[in-house]
Order: sequence, then C-alpha cells, then structure tokens
Amino acid sequence: MTSYLELSNITKTYGHFTALENVSLSVDKGEFVTFLGPSGSGKTTTLMIIAGFEKATGGTVKVGGLSISELAPHQRNIGIVFQNYALFPHRSAVENVYFPLQMRGVSRAKGMKQAEDMLSLVGLKGFGHRHPKELSGGQQQRVALARALVFEPSLLLLDEPLGALDKNLREQMQIEIKRIQRSLGVTTIFVTHDQSEAMSMSDRIVVFERGRIEQAAAPLDIYHRPQTSFVASFIGESNLIPATICCAGNKTAKSLALGSVDYAGADNVLLDGQEVTLLIRPEHIKLSRNPVDGRRNAFMTVETIVNYGDNALVIGRAGDIPLRVRVLGADVVIIKEGEECCVSWTPDSVFVITK
Amino acid sequence: MNTFMRWAGCFVVLFIAAPLVIVVPMSFSNASSLQFPPPGYWLGYYRSYFTDMDWLIPTWNSILIASATTILTMALVVPATFALVRHKFRGKGFADLMMLMPMAVPHIVMAVGYYSYFGELKLVHTHLGVILAHTCLSVPIAFLVLSANLKGFDRNLERAAQSLGASPTQTFLHVTLPILRPGLIISSLFAFIQSFDETVVAIFISGRDAETLPRKMFDSIRQEADPVIAVISTLLFFLVMIGIAAPYFASALRSRVPKPSRPASVAY
Repeated sequence: MTSYLELSNITKTYGHFTALENVSLSVDKGEFVTFLGPSGSGKTTTLMIIAGFEKATGGTVKVGGLSISELAPHQRNIGIVFQNYALFPHRSAVENVYFPLQMRGVSRAKGMKQAEDMLSLVGLKGFGHRHPKELSGGQQQRVALARALVFEPSLLLLDEPLGALDKNLREQMQIEIKRIQRSLGVTTIFVTHDQSEAMSMSDRIVVFERGRIEQAAAPLDIYHRPQTSFVASFIGESNLIPATICCAGNKTAKSLALGSVDYAGADNVLLDGQEVTLLIRPEHIKLSRNPVDGRRNAFMTVETIVNYGDNALVIGRAGDIPLRVRVLGADVVIIKEGEECCVSWTPDSVFVITK
Repeated sequence: MNTFMRWAGCFVVLFIAAPLVIVVPMSFSNASSLQFPPPGYWLGYYRSYFTDMDWLIPTWNSILIASATTILTMALVVPATFALVRHKFRGKGFADLMMLMPMAVPHIVMAVGYYSYFGELKLVHTHLGVILAHTCLSVPIAFLVLSANLKGFDRNLERAAQSLGASPTQTFLHVTLPILRPGLIISSLFAFIQSFDETVVAIFISGRDAETLPRKMFDSIRQEADPVIAVISTLLFFLVMIGIAAPYFASALRSRVPKPSRPASVAY
C-alpha cells in the first residue's frame, strides 16, 4: 500500500531557531497516528504545517500523491479539532456542523439534515439547537469533532483535543474518538503530550524531540524497543543503566552498578567495548529478600515505597544507580524502607539502546 | 449596614440623581423661564420645541453630524484596530499613543486649535468641519472599546473557519464580523453619543450654519433660560433610558419563547 500522507524533509526555522529539522513521515490511508512529545518538540508546528497555518521553510507535504504545500488552508480539505474546540459562539451546534457544508455551497435544507446526522453519529442527537455555551466540555468536543468530519475531509487533525477535559471524561472521549475514527476510516493525526493517551489510541506513535522525529513505531514497539534513551524515558517508567558490551558473542554487558547483565537481543549490531544504555522496565524487575536461583541478581537499598493500593513503586539505589521497581500491592509487605533486598530479572526484559 | 450609612447612601444617590429628575417637572412648567418648583403645568413648551425651527434645525444638525461622525470614525477605527491589535510593526507604540491622544488633550485646547487651523482651511462654521473635529474626538473612544473586544477574540475561530473551507473574505463575513458585532455596535454608539453630546468644540467652530443642539442649548440658557431646554433634556433623558432598558426587554421577550424540550438521551 502506498502512503497517503507524505511529509518529506520538512524544515521550519524562525530566525536562528530551528523548530523542525528534516521531518519525514509516511502515513497510510485510514491510519491513526499520534504525534507525541514534550512542549516545544515540534509536534504542533508539524500539525500546523500540514493544516497550512504555518509555512514550512523547506520540504513538501503530499496528500494522496499531490503536493498541498502551496494551497491555502481553506483549499486543503482538512478537518481540525482545536484544543479549545473553537466552536462559533454565534451559531448553534447544528449550525456549527453545517458551516463547512455551507462553505461548499450545500443548500441549507440538505446541509442541516447532514449536520444532524453527523451529530447523531457523535452521540449528540437532539442537542443541535443548543449554542456552544449551553453545552458541557465533552459535548462541545463532540460538536467540534462532528464539524471537522461532516465534509469528509481527506485528513483529520486533532490538536490536544482532550487536554481541557477531566480524567474520566478524557478516557470516555478516547474510546469515542477511536470508535468514530474507525467507523469513518478517516486518516487521523493526533497531537498530545500524554503518553498513555498515545499508547491507548494510536496505530502508530511518532515521538518528537527538539524538532526531530526520534522514533515512529507501533505503541508496543515504542514501549518495548525504544531506539533512543529519550524515547525510553519519555514513554512509560524506565530504568536506564549505562553499561559496556563486554562480550557480544555471549550477549553480556557489564555495568558498574549491577555487574554482568545478560540481554536477549538488540536491534543493532553490537561490538565488544561499545558504550550502551540498558533499559529495564520497573514492572520487569523482581524484588526478593534472598537471591533468586537461575537469574542475575543485584542488591538494592530501598529508599522510598509509594503505595498505590493495587501496586507499589519501590525506589532504591543499586550502587550509584537509582532503580525503580513496580511490585504488586500484596508483595510490598516483604520489604521496608532502609533495608537491603535482592533485585532480579530475566535477559528477555533487558533491552539494549545504542543511542 | 448601620442606619447612618444607609441614610448617607440615600442622600448621595438623591443628590446625584436629582438634577436628572428635576428637569422632568420643569419641562411641563408654564413659567416663562426655568423655575423650580413650577408654578403650574402645561404642554406648551413641547409644542414650541416641535414647531420652532430654531430648535429643530440644531437637532437635525446634531443628528446629521453625529451620524456622519460615527460612519467616519468606524471607517477609520476598524482597520486601525485590526492593524494595531493583530500586527507588530515599527512605531506601533507611537501609533497607539496617537490614537488615544485626543482623549488626553483638554477639549478646550483642541477647540482653540481647530478654530485657528480650520479657519485657514475655511472649515469653520461648516458641517464638515464639525464632523472632522468630532471624529477626532470619537476615534479614541471607539478604538478603546473595539480593541478590548478584538484582544479577547480567539484567533482559533478564524483558523477553524479556514480549515472548514472558508476563504479569508468568507471567514471575515461569517465568523469575525458576527462575533465582533456587539463590540462594533457599542463602539459606534459611543462615537455617536460623543459627537451628539460634545459642546466645547461645537461652540468654537459650529457657528450659526452648523449649530448643534448642545450649542443651541448653551446659548439659550445664557440668554433667556427658555424652558424648552428642560423639554429637550427630558426627551434625551427618556431616550437614553429606553436605550438602556431595550436589551433587557429584548432578552425577556426572547426567553418567553418556548424552547424545545430537553431530549432524554444522555451525552457527556
């Protein structure tokens, strides 16, 4: 399948500041792609370049094989949901949804019917006559979504649309957006700085950092096989341990803090003596009073225990390396703060990061 | 609140409101000059206001000048406000200051300036002269009101409109203009009232040919204290009261129109 949205070497500079540097990305038709990154990483700038509100300093944007770089925003046929929804306050919900159809010359009778149907799809049947200020945050969000979808856009762009909602509502809307996106099959770019949102909604996550793409991969790949330390630390909790490959043939690395560490595999060719970073996720570390047979063990001094009920986070130190361990709530009783205990893991849970 | 404070409050309100209200009985008075309390009542001065050309012509002049001032003011202020609020350019601070200058300079100073300057241009004693001078005084007021509105305007609304297929012109007509409408109405209203009410500049430059209502009233109170002044004050007073009350009545009427009943379906 050929790619539908294609960004090639997008660069954006403001004076001497480089906001984006050679960003290239291909998105398939119907794919749900999330741009994830801290603020100022370039994810929103990229979105604004796709929408046409920002002009790239270099590079091209293609949709369906045709370059849209020279088109004005209103000629691009791209639906956008803004963080603050940007509903027109002087129009009722259904008139908001009718707006893009009106701009396309659809008659009022036909367009209003279509707008009502779209409101039903997003679960707002019967709310059409209300004005934006008479709707709750979640309802406004749905109207904004309906408005961005009613004209069958070639792309749907969502700019941190869930940022203003409270936690429960946010989870409901995540599921809702995903459902609507699937049922319409619209190619979607979702921008967020919330990693759990990115994990739960996306077909693919693109991690941005300092104007570059750090990694673009499926959520679980991003989580289990991060290509850079930044990705590993930004997504999920992580223990990043500096180490040296001591014997690539035996798949063993040596760390000052943990001694010899076996790893199962790596995405890159490793050489003896190479400096690497080892990633061990906190939930993959086992905590015990005594060393466990058949595993590499290390000693850790427990500093803090944070209880969450169903699980607990144990923060400690092995040598001069801080370690975080996730344990089940029931298991936390075996240790106390200030005590020394054993940590162990299997080679499968060690991932070697070369960058 | 203790009793003394309450009485003090009532006294202050009475003191401030009395001059507003006192003109009402005086306008129905049959005394030959302004006098309170009136010796008797009749409607004669209302008749003389509505039949005397000496009063009707200044009234017409005032309406004409205020309307033209409003149109000219808005034609200047709308583009200027967009430029000053939305764009950064060299000399913006200076331009901002110049927009507000006429409000800071005392009217009497402006009036003397116009008198000598417009004299050279043969604009003294003309409608055009008064309109230009009043526009200068109305611009800062209209600018202040409109720029406050425009600063609070969410630019994402315009971006949203564009992404939905509206060209820049359509965006302005369908989104920017309707949302700014209250601000535009209020700033034109202020521009109009400013001109209608302005006396100092009018005394200096309106002359007999372009005599405005405030100027005529001022002349009249100095020369004969004609009770028609009380009639005009009363009419203006009620006109303003109606203006203030109209939005409340309008919204009260609107809320009496039954709305479709709430749908039973639940949405988040």
